[in-house]
Amino acid sequence: MKILKKIIMLCAVIAGMGAAGSLMAAPNDLPDIGATIAKSAGTFSAAASRKRDEVCTRCHDESETKPILSLYQTKHGVRGDSRTPNCQTCHGESEKHLKGDPTVKGRAAPDIVYKKGAYPVSDDRARSGQCLTCHKGTARTNWEGSQHQNNQVACNSCHTIHSPVDKVRDKKTQTEVCFTCHKEQRADSHKISTHPIDAGKVVCSDCHNPHGSVGPKLLKKNTVNETCFQCHAEKRGPFLWEHQPAVEDCTNCHTPHGSNIAPLLKSRPPFMCQACHDGSHASGTPVGQNAAGYQGGLSRLNTAGTAPLYPSANNVGNACMNCHRQVHGSNSPAGGFLQR
Amino acid sequence: MKNNNGKMQVSLLALAVQGALLCMTAAYADDDEVAALKNPTNTLEIGATNVSRASAKFGEYSGMNKTGVYLNGGLSVKGGDTYGDGNGVRRWSVMGSDLGLTSRAAGATVSDQGKWSLGVGYDELRHNLWDTYQTPYVGAMGGNSFTLPAGFPVSTTTAAVPATLPVGTDRAAWLASYNAAAHPVDINTTRKNTSVNAGYMIDERWSVKFDYNHLEQSGAKLAAFGSMLGAGGITGEAISILPNPTNYKTDSINLALNWMGDQAHVSTSYFGSFFKEGYDRVTFQTFAGASANQIMSTAPSNDFHQLNVSGGYTFSPQTKLTGGLSYGRNTQNDPFVADPFSMIAGGLPQASLNGLVNTYHADLKLSNQTAKDLVLSASMKYDKRDDKTASQFYRFNALDGSAAHIANFANTPYSNSKTQLELAGDYRMAKDQHLKLAYNREEIKRWCDQYAIGGLGNYALLPAPYTSAAAGINAYPAGTNCVVAIASHDDKLSAAYKIKVNDNLDMNAAYSYSDRVTISDPNAITARLGLNGNINPALAANTLIQGQNGGDYRGFYPFFDASRKQQMVKAGVNWQPSEKWTIGAGGKYTDDKYPSTYGVTKGNTWSMNLDTTYAYSEQSTVSAYLTQQHRERNLFDLQRAPTLAAAAGTATAVAIPSGATWTDRQVDDDTTFGIGMKRNGLMDSKLELAGDLSYTYGKTAYGTQLNYATTTALVGGVVYTCASPQIFTCGQLPDIQNRVIQIKLTGKYKVSKQSKVMFGYVYQQMKSNDYYYNGLQAGYTPSALMPTNQQAPNYTVNAVSLAYVHDF
Repeated sequence: MKILKKIIMLCAVIAGMGAAGSLMAAPNDLPDIGATIAKSAGTFSAAASRKRDEVCTRCHDESETKPILSLYQTKHGVRGDSRTPNCQTCHGESEKHLKGDPTVKGRAAPDIVYKKGAYPVSDDRARSGQCLTCHKGTARTNWEGSQHQNNQVACNSCHTIHSPVDKVRDKKTQTEVCFTCHKEQRADSHKISTHPIDAGKVVCSDCHNPHGSVGPKLLKKNTVNETCFQCHAEKRGPFLWEHQPAVEDCTNCHTPHGSNIAPLLKSRPPFMCQACHDGSHASGTPVGQNAAGYQGGLSRLNTAGTAPLYPSANNVGNACMNCHRQVHGSNSPAGGFLQR
Repeated sequence: MKNNNGKMQVSLLALAVQGALLCMTAAYADDDEVAALKNPTNTLEIGATNVSRASAKFGEYSGMNKTGVYLNGGLSVKGGDTYGDGNGVRRWSVMGSDLGLTSRAAGATVSDQGKWSLGVGYDELRHNLWDTYQTPYVGAMGGNSFTLPAGFPVSTTTAAVPATLPVGTDRAAWLASYNAAAHPVDINTTRKNTSVNAGYMIDERWSVKFDYNHLEQSGAKLAAFGSMLGAGGITGEAISILPNPTNYKTDSINLALNWMGDQAHVSTSYFGSFFKEGYDRVTFQTFAGASANQIMSTAPSNDFHQLNVSGGYTFSPQTKLTGGLSYGRNTQNDPFVADPFSMIAGGLPQASLNGLVNTYHADLKLSNQTAKDLVLSASMKYDKRDDKTASQFYRFNALDGSAAHIANFANTPYSNSKTQLELAGDYRMAKDQHLKLAYNREEIKRWCDQYAIGGLGNYALLPAPYTSAAAGINAYPAGTNCVVAIASHDDKLSAAYKIKVNDNLDMNAAYSYSDRVTISDPNAITARLGLNGNINPALAANTLIQGQNGGDYRGFYPFFDASRKQQMVKAGVNWQPSEKWTIGAGGKYTDDKYPSTYGVTKGNTWSMNLDTTYAYSEQSTVSAYLTQQHRERNLFDLQRAPTLAAAAGTATAVAIPSGATWTDRQVDDDTTFGIGMKRNGLMDSKLELAGDLSYTYGKTAYGTQLNYATTTALVGGVVYTCASPQIFTCGQLPDIQNRVIQIKLTGKYKVSKQSKVMFGYVYQQMKSNDYYYNGLQAGYTPSALMPTNQQAPNYTVNAVSLAYVHDF
């Protein structure tokens, strides 16, 4: 009976601990040989890949304040894809971190440290270098020497790798990430005339390639106009009557991140037009208070200087564009003055 | 010691069992936690928002532009055999957001990661533009025909009757008819995007990717329609502001083939964009002088094809080369639609443009880091827009219908090229210090191919020496330039320094200087020389010096192609005084100087930013930011015509000294301020709260000053100056001021493991005193402008929302 009790007790303990242990603790073994070798030998398996992760996840488990295991919801967690990295693919083999380093007090840092915390952050080139091992070419062809790289921005400065929600890849939240550094653009996006940036319908990456580009200001396309024509193809022409500043660069007149003068204008007609024209009838005329119209309490006087006259259509409202409205170009054979 | 205590044995057994069970319970609890982390959370959301008042501006992009309740919903469902501990590669997802609003979006994806992927998407957006616009015209918003109601009187007065007060009473009868017929029309545009994308990995090195997008646009934007019809005292140029339709369809395709090797990678792609305009014209009835249906042209349908190749080669880990080539072909051949009132007989040399623009791009960049602390790079970029469209003479009227203003212009198909070179070095002076020096050179060339090769055959219309067919000249001489600024080169030097003092403090500073020098051809025959620049010799007496851009005075240069010296300096600091507190500050100043005699002479911008965030607990933060922006532009010009205002009234027909000049100064100042708060972990981690307050104040001011005093007394022998109230073509315009305050509060309460309630409140107030709208009100418009009643956006809106979210 005593033996029976002992056997029952032993079985219970073993069963309980075993069941718990299999769930709680990963085997205390060292990483498998490199995944690359395994893949090339045709021995890749999802299970083996996951097992390799356990070197890290046995400690960095669900108790982490910033979730680690949610990586398995992301593309980097698809173990069935032989290209999927393991923890050490990105963080380095980190032998000293795993086995301890007698020369370091406490646990040594992993080879690559991405976020500020217990260890100093690794150099931006080292951090980005890990990502670029796989993510090279296509949209990242021009990363080398790009504005972001030159300013020590690394991939994880913007991207959140372990979270299923990478803010910068979600249109609704992307600007939160970009505006962390681009404060002027944040201010512009609050002005009275904007693209639907706040609504998350037109966001930074619709026009810019933050990974580097050959266009100006990291634009996705080769030129400003090619970028704008992605959505505004009606302004592409070619028109019979072209307007030189519109042909060359939309930003000669527009400021795409926001303006107090709709639609996204740098200045208001007639002043905007006068920055380039002074030879055509009214365009060389000084325009002052009369442009405010009557409700501003101002108008031109009559001949006798005793009563107001109507304001000039050259100055009020759309001003020059009351008549010359086809400023992006006209395809009417009568449109040489951009009036038709 | 012999331990044979039965009680103890039982207790030990019980403890062991209990311990084991405890461990199992804990393990299963942990298992749930692990599973939650490794598996996606699917959500279904349904809710409603109540908006307190109508405002097109408040609902500009949200679709909530009217008073009332808006039902809304969304979903996000994901699945596949990769989640949890799955070993597969299949994933799929279905999502929808704002499904009850005009900003709705939906999509679905399915993929076998590493093999193929497929996605479809739909995205809609209504842009609410105006809810105060009114018009007497009959015609649907989004349509292309606008007529006046039967019996609507023709306005016969374009000049005001002197001494008539209040303003507009001289047109009282016409205005009464206008007011009776005018009706409100909401103006908006709607875009609907449908997209399909697919990817396939042929093997480890080769992959293809396909993207297709169909963009459909409807609705209208307001635009001016000027009449070309004179009768009686009317000279044409009567303006109706009407909903100009945006009946557009754009199909875009991108097909890419990518190759990735160990040391090299190449991407080749075809991009096609096909734009179709649904209307070839907009017809509108004139309201002044006489009644007639006239025609406004629309944007021509056009195609764009582009072939691209880009790639990179890694010579060594230290030396990399990247480059790319593009060739594009943009065509357009819509039949011309001529307004019969505007065209002159025989003025149509061809039935359609047969327009062709070729675009070319090439780039190359070499970077090297042979020395550990020094990164060197050299790059080149070349872009060319080569407009191969034929240039012909066209003969047409100006809107005023004056025979003296009949134009005989050649279209100017603009071509330009830009070559950019950059040499840069980034030197790591110490572990955390960088110094970057760079030299850039940009060269621009502008020209017209085949400029004005076809005349009208009426050589008498051309200026000497092109007036004789016998002379064999029926076009401009080869090499005639169509632009004044035929070339420019811009040299720029820049330096940037960065230092990371420690893990908690980094600073940066940068300076650049650039010098753009423009080369001009004073003998260019430019586009749209203006009335006085018309090549019709009948206007010879008024002809300005030939060759000035758009008829501009000699010495006047458009700012965008003028010579310019530009300096920029900026600096920033990021400091983390404690683990919980971060502070960031930065500033930038740019100064532009243009040596142009006339035109924009100088400008500057500066901005300052201050940001701070404080995490007052593990789950709670408060942040604030302030941005101040300033922009200034100064224009200097020559008084063009002292008697310009005579036709509209002679009040300002004062004698202006020959060579008199004037200036205009534009100043923009903007303040943006915000405070944000996040508080999580309330009520036993069931409640999350967030709040944001933002304030934006924008001010634009224009000031025009005359650098002379009038010498002719108008009334009572008074000599007027710019300060005289009788002189209204100078002085300071009222400030254009816009203020927006927004308070946004959101909360999320976890009712159960699978249920959440979300609530929100938005307060938004906008105040605008923009004078733009003054001249659009009935009784206050210029004499030849149809009122529209558009109002500056001034509103206060409260919106309350409640939503239920089910997680599974």
